[in-house]
Amino acid sequence: MNAPLPRLDAVTLRGIRKSYVMGGQPVPALKGVDLTVQRGEFVALTGPSGSGKSTLLNVCGLLDTPDEGTVSLGGQDMTPLSGDDLTLVRREHIGFVFQGFNLVPVMTVYENVEFPLYLQGVRPEERRRRVADTLARVGLQDFAQRRPDELSGGQRQRVAIARALVKSADIVIADEPTANLDSVNAAQVVDLLRRLAGEQGLTCVIATHDPRVSDHCDRVVRLVDGVIA
Amino acid sequence: MKWLVLAVKNLGRNRRRALITLLITAVGTAAILVGGGFALYTYQSLREQAARDSGHLILAHKKYFDEEEDAPMSLGLSDYASIKAKLERDDRVRTALPRLNFTGLISNGDKSTVFIGAGIDARGEFQTKGPFLKMLAGDVLVPGGPEGTAPEVMLGGELAKQLKAKPGSVLTLLSTTTEGSLNALDVTVRGIFSLGVPEFDKRAIYVDVVTAQKLLVTDKVSQVAVYLDATESTDAAAASARQAFPELAMQTWQDQAFYYEAVRNLYNRIFGLMGGIMVVIVLFAVSNTMAMSVVERTREIGTLRALGTLPRQIVQVFTLEGAFIGAAGAVIGVVIGLATALGLTLAGLQMPPPPGQSVGYPLSINVETELYVAGVLTVIAASTVAAWLMSRKASRRPIVEALTHV
Repeated sequence: MNAPLPRLDAVTLRGIRKSYVMGGQPVPALKGVDLTVQRGEFVALTGPSGSGKSTLLNVCGLLDTPDEGTVSLGGQDMTPLSGDDLTLVRREHIGFVFQGFNLVPVMTVYENVEFPLYLQGVRPEERRRRVADTLARVGLQDFAQRRPDELSGGQRQRVAIARALVKSADIVIADEPTANLDSVNAAQVVDLLRRLAGEQGLTCVIATHDPRVSDHCDRVVRLVDGVIA
Repeated sequence: MKWLVLAVKNLGRNRRRALITLLITAVGTAAILVGGGFALYTYQSLREQAARDSGHLILAHKKYFDEEEDAPMSLGLSDYASIKAKLERDDRVRTALPRLNFTGLISNGDKSTVFIGAGIDARGEFQTKGPFLKMLAGDVLVPGGPEGTAPEVMLGGELAKQLKAKPGSVLTLLSTTTEGSLNALDVTVRGIFSLGVPEFDKRAIYVDVVTAQKLLVTDKVSQVAVYLDATESTDAAAASARQAFPELAMQTWQDQAFYYEAVRNLYNRIFGLMGGIMVVIVLFAVSNTMAMSVVERTREIGTLRALGTLPRQIVQVFTLEGAFIGAAGAVIGVVIGLATALGLTLAGLQMPPPPGQSVGYPLSINVETELYVAGVLTVIAASTVAAWLMSRKASRRPIVEALTHV
């Protein structure tokens, strides 16, 4: 049996700079951000459009690499890792919840939730147990064989949350998770995410415009023009 | 297993597109199999024809194939009977037949023209070779001919026309004997034939070998043609014959099959090009489908990458999809190819005469395992490579860019 993986739950960013090239000109998105998110902390990134929230979130989730600065998870510097190594860190330690749900349309609810466990090489019987358990926790145990297009927006986001949590990630990165939901569903999703993350002791970083989300967070980090205000 | 299931499910996303790609692949496969089957049938027919015309092995005097004879039959074989007996001891040998090649003039009394003659074993030649010529009138030679009449001759159709000859006509053969003097022999026309080659039909005659020997005043023959039970035994039988007759020269049917080799080279190029075009069409069809699929699924690729899927696993899914399309298309193509081959063969269609010939041949399509396996594997490989090429770049696209793709 493999030794348990070290927890990579605390996020530390130092001197993060990131620019994008638009029309041949570099446009800075992050201008030297320092941020520490403690283990188990529930943090909201807020700010106006174009302030750099999504870029910072992508850097935290190892979806993007900074031009300058260092990203550490659980005290381990991720900056020198190769693309494949970063993929493996994401696979084992980071769960994602996207604004547009981003479920795989040809997979059933069960298969979407099971997929991260398959990537991790979890044995079939263990996968079945954990998927069933997680679907029950998000209240979708009766929807396992449905396709995403047969679900409401709120249900789809709950599937996305189940997919992020099923693999026992250390960190959950959520990008505007309530932006496509009505107020009732948005509240349910935030409550669910907060409750489940709390149960599992997850570190959670959420980019949001929605005060209903930021009100549930331990801390709100506001970005303006690529720097923490 | 999961990747296989995902690949199969992905094929169902756009069923119409997948179906069209499948059909193109199937038709491409069928075209390769039918075209290849026709080429193989042609090769087989020409190979059998070439072996039937010359014999699988041809034994002659040591210098026969390299030098011209100074006088008729100066490079002939005088002990034909013992050679035949020794050859026929080999189980692979069906029979050994003599052939005496000679030339001269043939006349109807009013008109003379040049002939190219072959003295043959009248019984063995037609029994062994089967219907290798088309009889236009009369009948084939029989050994010795009817008693009390002149020796018999078979004439090429065009030659008979020139001499206004028909079965029963009496003609005169004039040739140089082995001593260098002229000799003449009256012969009765027994039959008129066509070999399907107009130039040959203008000059060809067949007589019994005994008649030819009588005309040339010799007991020799030009060569001994060995007929085997199976063309595939040619090389082995040739090796044995070389050992048994070190004093003789030997050629195989392949050495004399110039027409077969020329047609084979030509067809290899034509059908090779056709097959290549079909493979390219399959490649383009699958590439197009996969390129569209990759673009449509860009955000999904980004999502899968974010979840921890390696680029090579993304490529693997698309490649499996390509392989599935190729395999399904190839299987359908095999069914279409088999049905077409059977239908065309049973239809009894006639192909037009090949260049230089005047007789067509029945259209038939060979079904050979090697061709089908090679065709199916080629199509699957082309389709897999197309999918691999199309997905490789997409799998390496930055995740953030893929996730924001619209």
